[in-house]
Amino acid sequence: MASRPDVAFLRQVPIFKDVDEQVLIALWPSLRERRLRKGEVIFREGDPGDELFVIFSGSVVVSKPVTGRVEQVLNRLGQGEVFGEMSVFGDEQKRSATIQADTDAVLLGLRRDSLYRLIESSPKDAAKFFLEMVRFTFKRLRDTSDLVAEVTRWGLEATGLDVEHR
Amino acid sequence: MSEREAGADRPKRTRIELLVRAETGDDFQTREVPSASAYLESRPQRIPVGDYELARLPTSIQGTTAYVLKNRRTEDYLMLTEQETFLWEQMDGRASLQEIATAYVLRYGAFDFEAIPVLISKLRRAELLIMRPASRLREVLARNQRNPAARAAEAALHALERLTVKSRRSHDVFARMYRYGGFLLFSPAAVLVLAVLVVLGARSAVELWSDSGEVTKGFAGHALVAILLVKLCFWLTVVSHQLVHALACVHYKRRVREFGFTMLHGFIPTFYVDVTDIFMASRRARIVNALSGPLVHLFLAALYLWTASFPGPGLLKAFLATSAILQLQSFFISLYPFCFLEMDGYHILVDLIGFPTLNHDSVRFMRESLGPHLMRRARWTRQEIACVAYFVLSLLSVAGFVLLNLWVIVHAIRS
Repeated sequence: MASRPDVAFLRQVPIFKDVDEQVLIALWPSLRERRLRKGEVIFREGDPGDELFVIFSGSVVVSKPVTGRVEQVLNRLGQGEVFGEMSVFGDEQKRSATIQADTDAVLLGLRRDSLYRLIESSPKDAAKFFLEMVRFTFKRLRDTSDLVAEVTRWGLEATGLDVEHR
Repeated sequence: MSEREAGADRPKRTRIELLVRAETGDDFQTREVPSASAYLESRPQRIPVGDYELARLPTSIQGTTAYVLKNRRTEDYLMLTEQETFLWEQMDGRASLQEIATAYVLRYGAFDFEAIPVLISKLRRAELLIMRPASRLREVLARNQRNPAARAAEAALHALERLTVKSRRSHDVFARMYRYGGFLLFSPAAVLVLAVLVVLGARSAVELWSDSGEVTKGFAGHALVAILLVKLCFWLTVVSHQLVHALACVHYKRRVREFGFTMLHGFIPTFYVDVTDIFMASRRARIVNALSGPLVHLFLAALYLWTASFPGPGLLKAFLATSAILQLQSFFISLYPFCFLEMDGYHILVDLIGFPTLNHDSVRFMRESLGPHLMRRARWTRQEIACVAYFVLSLLSVAGFVLLNLWVIVHAIRS
């Protein structure tokens, strides 16, 4: 990224909030800017990928195909939030959901090799980065299990299924 | 999404957010779909016409009409009100619940918003008739689970209930029995034989009454054998009672769903036959079916009395006379409707007055509604009068039965 490092912004991003300022300045050129128009798909479920994204501005919708042209909205993410980390650190280098821009948006992409360089150059900061990443992953897990319960309740209400008295 | 509405007990209806893509390009729209609107837009589809059967019951004492809906495949039965039957008839898979509700309002002028969910639950469960009555004892034990004695009793009852032996393929056996002679029981000749036997039995009863002292002497020295023999023979006649119910069911071309042996309430060994399918037949069929079982006891009582007139004083004569008394007692108890037990006489009564839940409703009315009703000095409906009359008559009958038995015991001890 050519512009001046925006450390203040990176401080707002949970996974970078405890990382040393010098490391963030060093990381900034590795971040690739990507501009999106409203409705534009960033990637689809199953696409290969090795890049995580930080939302610099705007918002995106995370969805998963259900049937035909219909997808279930799993989440909406806004400025400072991160997505795409699963295919960077996960066991499968495939996207687990589809992401599209909900508004015009600017993303900052960070590739796996750039991240690995950060880890090698500053293990102490890498530990802080991963600690936040674990917290953030747990939150996603909690949100997902809440969503499962909510969708189940929706299904029961929508079908009028009386499970208690079956 | 899951927070509760202010001041309300119920959680908010849930919503899911769906993303619908345009047919071409990347454009999309997101839509929130509340569960309530999905429910209203659902289009319930009843099972195919040949898979269910709907029978109309006679107009009841309340002036309403009820229906019985049978699932032919699972053999589950559901009692529906006239309004529920209307809703059922709309559930053709084309009309949404919203449209069904609108049709209901147009037909009846008002709508109870719980009616559809309740009906749908009933239709889904579809197992509303259980032949073995729910045990009140089990309810009490369940309420006292902290008590070790109650827990032990519950475990014992549970073990005893597992002694149930049943067959759901008994219909073919009964159909064969009917074909190979059972049909004769439902002929005018059988009625004639029964009438003649009753006359002969009554004549013998008069003779035996005058020699009652001689008859009871027959038990002297064989008391234990006599009691066991009489009890065993009586217990076996319960099979005949159930058997004739099953044959009556076959006679009216309905299906015998189950035949078996169970420990009623966990401790009363009994045979039973599930003839729920007779509800789909005419009122005459239901009444004949209910009457056929008790008439077995009348037949056996008359037969025992008549044959008791032949042997001389002794164990056989005493056995026959005592068995006849037991059979007569069973005949009257089976046919007597006012005793809180839903036996054959009760079923005849509720069929005649068109009030299938009389026992349950009368107990509930007396427990929950009588006090407020008296306080309000409200007018009595026919249904309420029937509830009170049934409850009072049943209470008096049970008290009378207990007092009679006490009198017999006291009289026997004194003499």
